[in-house]
Amino acid sequence: MNAAGLRHERRLLLRRLALSAPAMATLAVFLLVPLGIMLLVSFLQPGDYGGVKWGEYSLEAYVNFLYERDLDDSLVFNTDYLQIFQRSFWLSVLTTAGCLLVGFPTALYLALQSERRRNLLLLLVTVPFWTNLLVRVYAWILLLRNGGLVDSGLEALGLVHGGDLNVLYTDVAVVIGLLYTFLPFMVLPIYTSLEKLDWRLVEAAYDLGATRRQALRRIIVPLAMPGIAAGTILVFIPSLGNYIIPELLGGGKALMIGNLIQLQFGTAHNWPLGAALSFALLAFVLLAMLVYSLRFKGAAAGGHP
Amino acid sequence: MSSAIGIERICMEFGEPGQGVRALDDVSLDIRANEFFTLLGPSGCGKTTLLRLIAGFEQPSAGTIRLYGEAMQDLPPFRRPVNTVFQSYALFPHMSVAQNIAFGLEMRGLPRAEIDATVQRMLALVKLPDVGRRRADQLSGGQQQRIALARALANQPKVLLLDESLSALDQKLRKDMQMELKRLQHETGITFIFVTHDQEEALTMSDRIAVMDKGRVLQVGTPSEIYESPVNRTVAAFIGETNFLAADAADAGLRLGDGQVLQAPTPLRGAVTLAIRPERVHLDPAGELEGVVEDVVYVGTDTVYHLNVAGQGGFRVRRQNHDGAVAAHAPGERLRLRVPTAAIRVLAE
Amino acid sequence: MNPRNPLWRFTGVRPLAWLFFAFLYVPIVVLVALSFNGGQSATLWESFSLKWYAVVANDPEIVRAAKNSLLVATFATLIATALATLAALGMRGPAHRGRTLMSGVLSLPLLVPEIVTAVATLMFFAFIGLKLSLFTILIAHVVFCIPFAYLPIRARLEGMDPRLAEAAADLYASPWRTFWRVTLPLLAPGMLSGAMLAFIISMDDFVITYFVAGAGATTLPVYIFSSIRMGISPKINAISSIILLISILFVALSYYIGQRKR
Repeated sequence: MNAAGLRHERRLLLRRLALSAPAMATLAVFLLVPLGIMLLVSFLQPGDYGGVKWGEYSLEAYVNFLYERDLDDSLVFNTDYLQIFQRSFWLSVLTTAGCLLVGFPTALYLALQSERRRNLLLLLVTVPFWTNLLVRVYAWILLLRNGGLVDSGLEALGLVHGGDLNVLYTDVAVVIGLLYTFLPFMVLPIYTSLEKLDWRLVEAAYDLGATRRQALRRIIVPLAMPGIAAGTILVFIPSLGNYIIPELLGGGKALMIGNLIQLQFGTAHNWPLGAALSFALLAFVLLAMLVYSLRFKGAAAGGHP
Repeated sequence: MSSAIGIERICMEFGEPGQGVRALDDVSLDIRANEFFTLLGPSGCGKTTLLRLIAGFEQPSAGTIRLYGEAMQDLPPFRRPVNTVFQSYALFPHMSVAQNIAFGLEMRGLPRAEIDATVQRMLALVKLPDVGRRRADQLSGGQQQRIALARALANQPKVLLLDESLSALDQKLRKDMQMELKRLQHETGITFIFVTHDQEEALTMSDRIAVMDKGRVLQVGTPSEIYESPVNRTVAAFIGETNFLAADAADAGLRLGDGQVLQAPTPLRGAVTLAIRPERVHLDPAGELEGVVEDVVYVGTDTVYHLNVAGQGGFRVRRQNHDGAVAAHAPGERLRLRVPTAAIRVLAE
Repeated sequence: MNPRNPLWRFTGVRPLAWLFFAFLYVPIVVLVALSFNGGQSATLWESFSLKWYAVVANDPEIVRAAKNSLLVATFATLIATALATLAALGMRGPAHRGRTLMSGVLSLPLLVPEIVTAVATLMFFAFIGLKLSLFTILIAHVVFCIPFAYLPIRARLEGMDPRLAEAAADLYASPWRTFWRVTLPLLAPGMLSGAMLAFIISMDDFVITYFVAGAGATTLPVYIFSSIRMGISPKINAISSIILLISILFVALSYYIGQRKR
């Protein structure tokens, strides 16, 4: 390309940058700067009645994470917060596993339907995306509470006798809620992978003597791997930081990270600790995304993992 | 005849100067007014790049493009009085057929009545008078092709550019459109520049052909010039079927590897290549050349004999099956061939 | 591939799929059914009645919350869609290092956990001393609506044949007219679905709104959350059902439009 051509290219590039500028500026000012301030706040002293003492720096929030200050100001090892992180982690793992268990067969079922039927079923999978999460979680309170539909239903079937179900406000209820919320996030990416799958490959496997189960394990699952990975990320990450579901179905007893963070901005009046916890969560999420994109980005673009 | 498009020493480089890919390397061409001119070559030879330079979608790295004598390489595409028929047609999917055809006229600000009349005239010209209200994507491939033509021709361009315009059509439709294009060019008197990789299409339709390869123009000439007198091996190999024989040119004639001698006038001396078209060779017991049959292939209209001549295999001889007679010769048989002097093209290298 | 061929029947796939759909829809059906309950209990069926819908319609607090939600969602959608459209147009052309960074920033709101965005935004407003109000909600909503509006627009732009703009230029349209007559009309469906997504996401958001909502600036989800915390009631059933049905209507409509386009 000659000099005039290069100048022309550069002018074009500048014009494009100018077009993107308003959105970039909005996101920079109202998201990147707040995240920076959050990091700053995590190194400040909490204010007495919420808020922070601007300008008074301290590592207290990070110390608080693992230790508790005793009455005589000595540090005592305290695993309360760590345990909540651990619980959040395991509940999210459980949710992801459950989603995979139900989500993969569902995606496979969808991929094997005729086109008209598939479109309709796909619509049914996506409806929850468009409907209010809070409302749908509320429906589970109606179902799971003592004397609710599940309770009385089981009793009517004679499966339980007397007494209460006592499921609501437990980890079980939280996992049910998380499963319910995130299942579509597992089904859709797996379905997308399977839809692109060349079924002649499976026919070739049959031709070479594979049974259905072998074809599934050796051909279909490996080729759906990018979708499975994407689904896993899409379920695990938002489960981990979820706030509404443990709040409503865990009833403030089965806490997760999200609730712990919220507490610091509510009754606990400890913004720096809340900021530090948020930062830890964010760092974990970004790390997971980094690992995912290094491992699977090529595969998503159509190559092999 | 005056020159419609003059291309003078055009170079086109993609990427950084000096180290990029050379798509066009010092190309010069002179395309005359009212001719059907074809750029022919394998994919990646630079023919489409050249067309896009004429249309104005790309800027040349160096060189001049003239339209009726006036340099226009710095004009943007929307100021150039040339129009393009795209390979994929590029009909606007959100507009009706009539709106598509009217688009260029509207952009030039012509009065509504004139636009409407022109649209009707164009629809009639491409023999689709009733599709004006339909949406472009409701038409078949062949119909879209005609509408793309109508949209370009509506502007009465000085030059019409056609980029592999028939390649998406099936064989039958393609033959019809070839005739149709010739007719339209005749009726409108517009200069057509046609890009294709199909040599048969080029030979059938063109007044003149430029054969391109690796960013260069190898030969410019009428179809018969290109076919009968290819300037080098690449052109000969690309246009039609050709047998190549290595030979040594001396005063006594063209001596092949096994000592057989053919006669054809040439100023060249030393190692040469003989290019001989399969249909110009005859099986004849009195022929001057001998070969051994390797294979006999029946292809409907013809029978093709593959022979080993002078130690080189794969020498093809094509014989028409006009009397319904099939393979009278079997592999292993020795045959004599008559090669008319005029059928031998002596190439350097 | 013929779906009817027994070769493609994998054991257990169909029952699990139907379990999935049942799991997805039973709670919704139960909720809507209970909203027509005439009794005082949220879960014990007594008789069919529309009385709780009347209660909802006449509750000034709910009406105000709904108005707030609509107001915020409308403006957030308009602003986010405009910003996203410009950004998508700016992201055309050959890739460069800045573009990778910019697309990273554009998808950041999807990556950062909601609760983190919520508290970070809250601290930001505290830091700059901006009083919490409907306006702070609007700002927060614009931020997380941008990627939802951007993705469909970008996809539409990427699927657009670059030859169409070249064809317009070839037919004497200046770059400006090419934009208005060809690019923008072709982009419109993408902008529409982007705007719809942004609107729904804004209408539904609870977590971020909850943190940056000032006193009196209650949106519908925040109202519902506070009500649930005070205990379940047939009134919540009714307002929840209304929200669900509006969403489902919205989806059906967009599905219908999508089908008709084809």
